[in-house]
Parts: sequence; C-alpha cells; structure tokens
Amino acid sequence: MAASRTGWKNRLAAWWAERVPVSGVQLRELTNEPVPNHLKKWWFALGGTPAYLFLIQVFTGILLAFYYQPSPLTAYESVAYITRHAEYGWYFRSLHKWGATFMIAAVILHQMRVYFTGAYRRPRELNWVIGMCLLLCTLLLGFTGYSLVYEQLSYWGAQVAANLSEAVPLAGSVLKHLLLGGPEYNERTLARFYVIHAAVLPVTLILLLAIHIAFVRLHGVTELRFEDEEQTEPRYYNFFPDHLYTELCIGLVLMILLSALATIFPAVMGPKANPLETPEVIKPEWFFYVVFRWLKLFSLTTAIVSAGFIVAAMFLWPWIDALLIRLTGNREISTYIGVVATILLTGMTIYEALVEH
Amino acid sequence: MDDSDSSHTQRPHGAGPTTGRSARRLFLRVAMAGGLVAGYGTLGVMAGRFLYSNGQPSRRWQFVTTIDALAVGDAILYEAPNGAKLIIARQKEGETDDCFAALSSICPHLGCLVHWEPQNERFFCPCHNGIFDKGGKAISGPPAAAGQQLTRFPVKVDRGRLFVLAPVESLLELNVACRSHTTCRLAGHFRARAGEPRRAEV
Repeated sequence: MAASRTGWKNRLAAWWAERVPVSGVQLRELTNEPVPNHLKKWWFALGGTPAYLFLIQVFTGILLAFYYQPSPLTAYESVAYITRHAEYGWYFRSLHKWGATFMIAAVILHQMRVYFTGAYRRPRELNWVIGMCLLLCTLLLGFTGYSLVYEQLSYWGAQVAANLSEAVPLAGSVLKHLLLGGPEYNERTLARFYVIHAAVLPVTLILLLAIHIAFVRLHGVTELRFEDEEQTEPRYYNFFPDHLYTELCIGLVLMILLSALATIFPAVMGPKANPLETPEVIKPEWFFYVVFRWLKLFSLTTAIVSAGFIVAAMFLWPWIDALLIRLTGNREISTYIGVVATILLTGMTIYEALVEH
Repeated sequence: MDDSDSSHTQRPHGAGPTTGRSARRLFLRVAMAGGLVAGYGTLGVMAGRFLYSNGQPSRRWQFVTTIDALAVGDAILYEAPNGAKLIIARQKEGETDDCFAALSSICPHLGCLVHWEPQNERFFCPCHNGIFDKGGKAISGPPAAAGQQLTRFPVKVDRGRLFVLAPVESLLELNVACRSHTTCRLAGHFRARAGEPRRAEV
C-alpha cells in the first residue's frame, strides 16, 4: 500500500519535472537574494510596500470594473450603485481609495529613503530614473482614478488638469486633445481616462516595476551599516523565507489599517458633476496640493515651465548630485537640498490644506 | 517553511528548552498561516458576494391605468420599461391595493406567456396546460408539480390611479432626474401625474 503510494508520487514528480524542468533548488537560487541586514528595519523595506499596495489596487480595481460604466450618463450612477447597493461595494471602493492614498505616500517615503541614503548614486542612477517614472505613473493613476467618479470636484479637477496640459509649451494643445479625446471635455473623455487608468498605466507600471526590481537584483540592495550594530553580526540574511515573512507582516498590518480606515472613513459620494457650475471651493486630491499651490503663486506659463524644470531636475538628480559633489567637495550637499525641498513641499501641502482659496 | 535553523537543530532532541521552543514555533506558524487564510479568505468571500450581488434589476413605480378603467375580473397586459410583460388584474371590488394583482405573464415552467381567464378566475398557460389561481400560485400542470408560482410585483393605488413597482430599462432611465431611490420614485410619480402616455395595452 505504502509502496504503491510512493510509486504514484514518484511518477507524478517525474511527470512534472519533465514538463517543468526547474528543480526546487534552482528555483530557490533564482528567487533568493542576500538581503542586507538593515532591511530588517521596516522603513528600509518601504519599496515592497507600494508593490503590495499595487496588488491591492489591482484586486479591488478589477472588482470595481465589474460595475463601473465610463460614460458621463452612467459613471456617477454606477459608482453610486457600487457604494450604496452592491454587497460590500462600499468596502471595496473605500479600500481602493485608501489604497491609492497609501500607495502614493509609500512611493514618496520610499523615494525619500533612497534620496537621503544616497542609494541613487553610481552605479544605480538608471534605477532612480525608473523610480521617477514609477512615481509619475502612480500620481497619474491617482489623478485618472479620481476623475472617474464624475463628481463635481473630480470633473473640475480634470478640467483644470486638461487646461494645464494645454499650457505646456509647444506640445500643449496636442496633449490636451489627446487627454480629452477632443478639444473639450466630451462624452468620450471618461472612457479615455478609464482606459488610461485601468489598462495603460497599470501595464506601464508593471513593466517599469519589473525593470526596477531587475536593477535591484543586478546591483544588489545598497548596503548600510549602523553604529549600534555589532560588527560580528552576519551582514546578510535570506530573501526567502526571512524577508518574505517581513513583507507578509507589513502586508497584514497594511490590510488591517486600510480596512479600519475604509470602515471608519468610507469613500462617499459628492454632488454629481455639473459642467455648468464650478464649485465655490475646488481642491484636487492631497498629493496635488503642491502643484495647485504652485499654480496660484505664479502665472500659468511660469508655473508650468518651472514645474517642468523641477521634475527634470528630479529625473537627472544622480548626475546633478555628482556634479555638485565635484564642485563643492561636500557629499552631504544633497541632504541639505533634500531637507529644504521636503520642508517646502510639506509646507505648501499643509498650507493648501488649511486655506480655502 | 524552512526548518534549517542550525542553532536549534544541533541541540539534542527531547531536551526541555528545544521542545518548548519547537512547540512555540509550531503554534506561531499555525496561528500565522491560519490568520492569513482566514483574513484573505474572508476578503475572497466578500469579493465573491460583491460580484454576485448584481442579480436584481432596478425597479420603479410606474403608472399603469386609472382604476375605473379596469373592471372587477378584468386583466390587462402591461409592458414594463425593460420590456417585461406583466398581467395586472382587478380581482375584487374596492379601491385598496389588495384588490389588484400584478403578476409576471411568463410561465415559470418554460417561459411561455400565460393569459387570464375571467370566467374561471385563473391564469392559463397554453403550452403545457399550466394553471395558476388569481394569486399566481400554480394549481395544476407541470408548474404545480414543481410548486411554482407567477412572479408577483407590488402594486399601489394613489388617488384613483394604479401603480406597479416594475423593472426599469437600464441605468439610462435612472439618469433622467434621479440621484436616489426616493427621487426616482417621485420622478416616476410626477411623470405619471403629468399625463405621460402609459405603456399598457389592454
């Protein structure tokens, strides 16, 4: 009896090995990677956090897509149906909304960690550029997702953004036309936002993420050692299963937090979009407060061109940093600039959150 | 799960601290795995229910006819906005809601249309001789054998007018003036009061 069971197992294992010629050892080597000890501190493991949140966004997004109808006639009502009538619809929509907020926050925190530890420096410059693309993708996902609800604020937010893109020198009108699917916001615009939000950006993000992770694997995680660390401690630990467990724990904590927020502060329905009436107080989502404040400080063209320069400087930062170090001889120069930039960005965000206009 | 923690495996088996530690490890592993399965499993069940819940078509109160146009024992065929055929019958004297019945005209057996026989006070399905009483309950034929009945729609009488809570066409209909179920009902009501042509056919 036992022998026949062993024989059956062996035959099944042989059948599998013939068709999938990868051994367990090979698979473990392939997926495993020595992880520097500092990643045991969770704030250094923040790169995995947006990835996990992205999975939640994909899962809840697919669920919401079963009911969402991207047309001005039906968009608001379909979201209202999800929120009020579909079973657990309020939960999945709220999870999606809070997941987006957390994902953007996690990407920003991850980028700040990389910045302040100088992890973008040679030879990892290109991965910083990929990371910047991932940040832009995440912000665009936030913007297009918010526009899909077709509330007053999301509609007028999209209008403002479309007119903003028109102010971009040279390519402005083409950009606006591409974004709206015509010279103005029309009945085909929402479908366009939907495809960008649910297909174009996620696929781009997945491809970029694959390159991002491939670069991390090729270069290895930047090593950091702390003063309080004993020199005799091993410098690395295994990705599988040790680091995976860390990520699993972070994932669970995130899920609990998101569920709590979704329950206590669920996503609600604002008034339906009215193209004939701009609301008295208009605000974008929190992650665009900085841009919104920036637009109020300068003329449109100045604001757009300066914002363009800032984003370009962020993309090219590894090389700008190297140049600054060469010129000043001070390796800490990026830290000072980073602290000033963080104070400015946080200050403008808080200021925009506090004032009405 | 990887059990190759050298600091533990090198100790002799059966020693007190190791046994305690292994038991604790086992407990933590089971608790962790159980928690994961329970947590994500619940999420999966919720997702399933979310996807499954879109079964019922939305319904709104629709004007059918004035009650004096429908004599006791008579029935009319009414087409709901989504195309569903309803039989609306006045089953007894009076002007209250329970004097009227709105039943789906689709036989639950195999989908043929039933018709009202006033002389026999019953609905009859010509396809397989299914017979239903005036409340829509099957009393003879294959539907009775299966214990089936005609789907019933709520009716109400309001100032001499008869309304039925009928399935509506699509979300497009809802967009006319409705933001919530209450306003939808009111919108339907006012459209009816404004004398919008009724979709009933006698």
